[in-house]
Amino acid sequence: MIVSRVARRLGSTMLVLLGVSLLIFLIARVIPGDPARIALGPRATEEQVIQMREVLHLDQPVIIQYGHFLTELMQGDLGISLYTNRPVMTDIAQFLPATLELVLLAGFFMVALGLPLGVLAARYRGGWPDNLIRVITLLTVSAPAFVWAVVLLLMLSYFLPLFPIAGRIHETISIPTVTGFMVIDTLLAGHWRGFVSALHHLFLPAFALSLSGVGQAARLTRSNMIETYDSPYIEMAQSYGFPERRIARSYALKPSLIPSLTIIGLDFAALLGNAFLVENIFAWPGISRYGVGVILQKDLNAIVGTVMIISATFLIANIIVDVLVTLINPRIRYAERSR
Amino acid sequence: MTQDLTLSIRNLTLSFTNWEGSTQVLHGIDLDIRPGERVALVGESGSGKSVTARIVLGTLQELASATIAGEVIVEGRRMQDMTPAEWRSLRGTDISMIFQDPTVALNPVYRISRQFHEVLRRSQPSIKRREAEERCVAILADVSIGDPARVLESYPFQLSGGMNQRVMIAMALINEPRLLLADEPGTALDVTVQAQTLHLMRELVERRGTSVLFISHNLGVVREFADRLYVIYKGRIVERGPTKAIFENPRHPYTRALLAAIPRLTGSGIPDIDEVSEAYHEPLVDHENIAA
Repeated sequence: MIVSRVARRLGSTMLVLLGVSLLIFLIARVIPGDPARIALGPRATEEQVIQMREVLHLDQPVIIQYGHFLTELMQGDLGISLYTNRPVMTDIAQFLPATLELVLLAGFFMVALGLPLGVLAARYRGGWPDNLIRVITLLTVSAPAFVWAVVLLLMLSYFLPLFPIAGRIHETISIPTVTGFMVIDTLLAGHWRGFVSALHHLFLPAFALSLSGVGQAARLTRSNMIETYDSPYIEMAQSYGFPERRIARSYALKPSLIPSLTIIGLDFAALLGNAFLVENIFAWPGISRYGVGVILQKDLNAIVGTVMIISATFLIANIIVDVLVTLINPRIRYAERSR
Repeated sequence: MTQDLTLSIRNLTLSFTNWEGSTQVLHGIDLDIRPGERVALVGESGSGKSVTARIVLGTLQELASATIAGEVIVEGRRMQDMTPAEWRSLRGTDISMIFQDPTVALNPVYRISRQFHEVLRRSQPSIKRREAEERCVAILADVSIGDPARVLESYPFQLSGGMNQRVMIAMALINEPRLLLADEPGTALDVTVQAQTLHLMRELVERRGTSVLFISHNLGVVREFADRLYVIYKGRIVERGPTKAIFENPRHPYTRALLAAIPRLTGSGIPDIDEVSEAYHEPLVDHENIAA
């Protein structure tokens, strides 16, 4: 039943991606400026520019251009980037894992820190742990990720040199690229010191990126837990003398998790966007940084490719959250079955 | 004397304090329940009937804003002599409670069987799955559920309100409690279903000799169910006595107003009752001689 749900969601995801591709394809062509001219630079001759326009199919109507794009996409080809002069697919394969690494760890922080903090605050509602958590999470929510990136960088890398300033791994370590995920590649290479170094480099940017999500998850979980605590079934559990810790952990937490998970899913997608400034601050060679670079260069193929990949990641994150919510909430599960 | 009683409440007072000051909710309640007796506590909303049940249960004491004085004695054990943890150990074993709306009082994300299991573990922490299942099936049969296996495998939202109510009655009685607190049971259900389940509940507690504190705002429902009656108004007991005696001869003005409020088939619409009346504050009318 889960399988069929995922299959159905994947189907609709394809449709959404198609829509996204059309939209971004058009938008990219509406932005002022001639991509061929930007790519060739101011010294190129008129003939060269015209030739370039032909190569890029820019001399044809937009609808034909889109047709070209789709046929190439079917073959797994997103075209050549004018920015790096390489196939866009190659660029994405190189830059995406770095960002995913960052975003996945940030997502892990949101779940592993945000949820427990929310539960703790709800448990001690009105007490000092609650007040402390509320103040801290308000701070983390109200400043954007790049502010935290700068603050953390200054505090924990510059004044107190606990963490590296930039990069993905110590410069003396070189690891063959297999998956592109530094953490995984070091393990595949059996390079233990490299693995530790990769994690060490990853921690601060991921943490900075996750902070506002952590705060949001904690605050939402707290208010959901408090609402759940006022519900009759919690009173019933208490009136039967179930241990308080059990009530908190299973009776109150499980129903409260449903909205928290949904929000974490959305936040997770927002991380991809927020990652841009964080990647710049930590000199992290990720897809967000690449994406902004290609937009400024009006590199049409790369813009469309990057946006498509980010949308796909967003949609996949939502499918995962959807499946988790289905697993937790019997109502959805059974509505599904009887359909 | 109090040793023989299942529940004895003496001069119970309760006030809530917040930053604006304190509000007194209970002004010295006395109430007794003998073994196997069904006693009803009747009054309008806000009269203090539900908080009384929650004090007996010990859950209200956990609120920092509540100040409670007086004596609560269950089966000869004085609450004041026990630690909160000791009192807590009585919950779900010697004292259990039935709630107003069964569909929201059962946990929405767990199957009925799991919730039963949890309740059973209160009295037998190491109960085996098989034994638990047998006991659940037996008690569900007692509350006239024809298909216990299916009900146990269900989530509350898959059952009707009446079914959930039966499940809740079964859950409250499965550990053979000495005292059952029923807080407006079935008020959220429609009248016919409420009547059915109340009959069922009455039969069961009668057979098991369970004492019941039945809390309600509806004298019509109480008449069927209770041996004795306490009428509560604004935190004071205004009339007490055998159900029959009070129905035949209601002497306190507030009791009369409550009786007049029972809707009748051949009435003249909504009865005309004073919302507030000086007469409601008249002293206790006692139909029995068991003085405090």
